[in-house]
Amino acid sequence: MTRWTRNLILVASLTALPACASTPAQRGLMVFQQVCSACHGMEHVAYGDMSSLGLSPDEIRKWAADQQMPNGTDDNGDPKTRPATATDPILSPYPNEAMGRLANHGLLPPDLSRLALTLPGGAEEIRQILLSYAPTPAGMTLDEGRYYNTALKWKHIGMPPPLQDGMLTYPDGTPATSAQMANDVSAFLDWIAHPHQAERRRIGVYVVTYLALMAFLTFLLQRRIWRAHR
Amino acid sequence: MTSPLKTPDTDPPDWLERRLPVMSLLRRQYVAFPMPRNLNAFWSFGAFLIVTMAFMIASGLFLAINYTPDITQAFASVEAIDRQIPSGWFIRSLHMGGVTMLFACLYIHIGRSLWYGSYKAPRELLWLTGLGLMLMVMVTAFAGYVLPWGQMSYWGATVILNAVHAIPLIGQPLSELLLGGDTLGNVALHRLFVLHFTMAFAILGVIALHVAALHVVKSNNPSGIDPVSPSQTLPFHPYYTSRDGFALCLFLMVYAGLVFFLPDLLTLADNYVQANPLVTPRDIRPEWYFAPFYAILRAVPSRLGGLLLASGSLAVLFTLPWLDRSALRPATRRPMVRLSLPLAFAAFMVLGVAGMHAPTPAWLLASRVAIAWWFIHFLLVMPLASEREMSS
Amino acid sequence: MTQSETPPSSDGTRRRDLLATGTVVLGCAGACALAVPFVESLKNPVANPLSDRLLDVDLSSLTPGQDMSVRWRDWPVFIQRRTPQMLAALQAPDHLATLRDADSKVLQQPKDATNWHRSVRPEYGVLIGVCTHLGCVPSFEKPGSTPEAKGGYFCPCHGSHFDAAGRVARRAPAPCNLPVPPVTFLSDTKLRIGHSAGDPGFSMSDIQQI
Ligand code: HEM
Ligand code: FES
Repeated sequence: MTRWTRNLILVASLTALPACASTPAQRGLMVFQQVCSACHGMEHVAYGDMSSLGLSPDEIRKWAADQQMPNGTDDNGDPKTRPATATDPILSPYPNEAMGRLANHGLLPPDLSRLALTLPGGAEEIRQILLSYAPTPAGMTLDEGRYYNTALKWKHIGMPPPLQDGMLTYPDGTPATSAQMANDVSAFLDWIAHPHQAERRRIGVYVVTYLALMAFLTFLLQRRIWRAHR
Repeated sequence: MTSPLKTPDTDPPDWLERRLPVMSLLRRQYVAFPMPRNLNAFWSFGAFLIVTMAFMIASGLFLAINYTPDITQAFASVEAIDRQIPSGWFIRSLHMGGVTMLFACLYIHIGRSLWYGSYKAPRELLWLTGLGLMLMVMVTAFAGYVLPWGQMSYWGATVILNAVHAIPLIGQPLSELLLGGDTLGNVALHRLFVLHFTMAFAILGVIALHVAALHVVKSNNPSGIDPVSPSQTLPFHPYYTSRDGFALCLFLMVYAGLVFFLPDLLTLADNYVQANPLVTPRDIRPEWYFAPFYAILRAVPSRLGGLLLASGSLAVLFTLPWLDRSALRPATRRPMVRLSLPLAFAAFMVLGVAGMHAPTPAWLLASRVAIAWWFIHFLLVMPLASEREMSS
Repeated sequence: MTQSETPPSSDGTRRRDLLATGTVVLGCAGACALAVPFVESLKNPVANPLSDRLLDVDLSSLTPGQDMSVRWRDWPVFIQRRTPQMLAALQAPDHLATLRDADSKVLQQPKDATNWHRSVRPEYGVLIGVCTHLGCVPSFEKPGSTPEAKGGYFCPCHGSHFDAAGRVARRAPAPCNLPVPPVTFLSDTKLRIGHSAGDPGFSMSDIQQI
């Protein structure tokens, strides 16, 4: 499948997504669906994992059903596909590494599952990259497939500028400027790279409170027991 | 028919007692057990270690239920534990945070024994089983770290297995036994998985020995003079159960802080990139608990020399009860040791910090000074100090 | 804890007892709470409503009297194309008398398959091939392969017989008819397993016995 048919499918799938995005991470998911996923996957994340971002089972099923999963080979030995389901991983749009490289001047768009964790600058670095495209200055020539970007050490990157003002419409009415989308999608990728973080912290507060109470009680208890010997 | 059970015994505790005297054993060993009165907080770290081990085993078992020891699936199975398995993130964090807590407690526990002279007669076996436990935990942690099959897993294991290979005589057969092939691959991963949990259960057995030895020779104490009369002791329960309970709550708060609020504090992000045998990560370094030994390997400009000094730094600990023969136990009462031992502790920490930094000339120099002091302390200062004390 | 170690203050004893009991009870409660995530992790993550998979099957190569099996949610699903003789056999009164649940009263199928042929279209039967006795996979008896074979299913494990509509014989050890999955015909030769247009609310977890 070429990038363009993929894009078409995505745009079509979006009409089926009535999500009323409101948090940055939720809006960022839209940016991922409509923009980033044309080239990147998140192969360790399942469509169903989006339910903790507030997507309903129906929204998830619809989104998944519009994506294709490899499904063995047909009688001629040619690869077959099937619609994805909620438990399937969000795969790269390229069926294999070679196709990915072919479509991107020899580079493979990295998987986004943990990118905001493994990049030294984290999600902020992603945001900076998305915001730092500029016209190539006069006197500088870049190889084919390289794009001028001031966030990188060598001032160029293999990813074409992905964001344009107004390229999508947020259902909650937030103006979809490039800066807004860069913000949102990096918040989303941060959320993806730290699974269950909100839940982790919420439970952590209970656990530490409980332990503090236990510490207080055991402190009183041991002081009472030891008092006779002090 | 005469049987030792001829009296009609219906009282349940009595019934059990006549057949298997566990209750009285527990009572003797864990309730009425005589403890010195003057133990300080450092004596709680043994309890922390037992509790952390329990967390490690429990979380490890539940991880193993969802883990796949196959190089094509290991990374994804760990990601699934973190993302899709219900509460999997919690169980994995318990295991990863537990390793840090385990090593921290081990190092403090060992430091306590060094400071208060707990390794001396009659506690030599306690000391040796303890050091054996530390080595076993190190092997377990090394094998466990390979399992998620991230970049650090792969390259850390490659480096260590090559180091093992370089050991004279036994190195080559040993590394081949672990690898089971030409390079680090599926066979090795499966072997390390089995080694990981087998070693973990073996640790439980050695802990039992360690505690049994403790209950024969009883606890040392900050004064270094063993109590002689019952009036100098207190029963373990309720005195030390209540105090360890309090200490344990504080300890668990630190552990919970790591698990719930700072899960990424001590982990290396590169291990969230799947192993790639064609690319070594740029800043490859070990987890913090192996950093001191890693620093030794780097600071010695010879492969065999580095290996010898790194393993020697642990080997000297094994010989300590015989290097230091003086009857005086706590460093507080031994002027030379009191000066030299804190420097040895500092040397260990310097090595740890050096191991986590790039090997700049300054860090290399600091590492070398630290290594030198470590060996001077154990091989020179300790025999000298005990010589002087014994003659005076 | 012996009485002699209790601090001498008169009300202190009571307070410590309350304190001691409270601490121990709260500690045990904490330990029990800790067990919850461990038990939770053993739950089947596939058993959530999101995981109802859809599987599209092409029926164009299935000739009358033949059957095929596909895998859906790790269950074997039998799809048979019925001949007029098979359909007639399904309605024969003396056959119906041998069945335990001829009218599909037990909830083993979506509403749009609660009929005499237990399927959406009489011509096609779709059944989950898991014996309701103890879970073996019954085998298809292709009509005409033996004199008695009428296109039903026979379970080798303990000898349960099911007719072509998956209805269990009265003499069989299996208690219920074979389950019917939710299906929708996308076209005459394209079947989607996993969703029933005629009974959209149906979920496999409603099935009595699988
Ligand atoms: C002495 C006790 C133990 C120690 C020191 C230990 C240490 C470790 C370490 C360092 C890791 C890598 C953590 C990571 O970065 O993911 C690990 C992973 C693992 N351990 Fe253990 N472990 C112990 C006991 C056990 C036991 C008893 C089992 C199972 C029977 C077990 C099963 C696993 C599994 C399946 C993994 C891979 C999953 C993961 O990486 O999260 N462990 N262990
Ligand atoms: S399992 Fe089919 S008859 Fe027993």
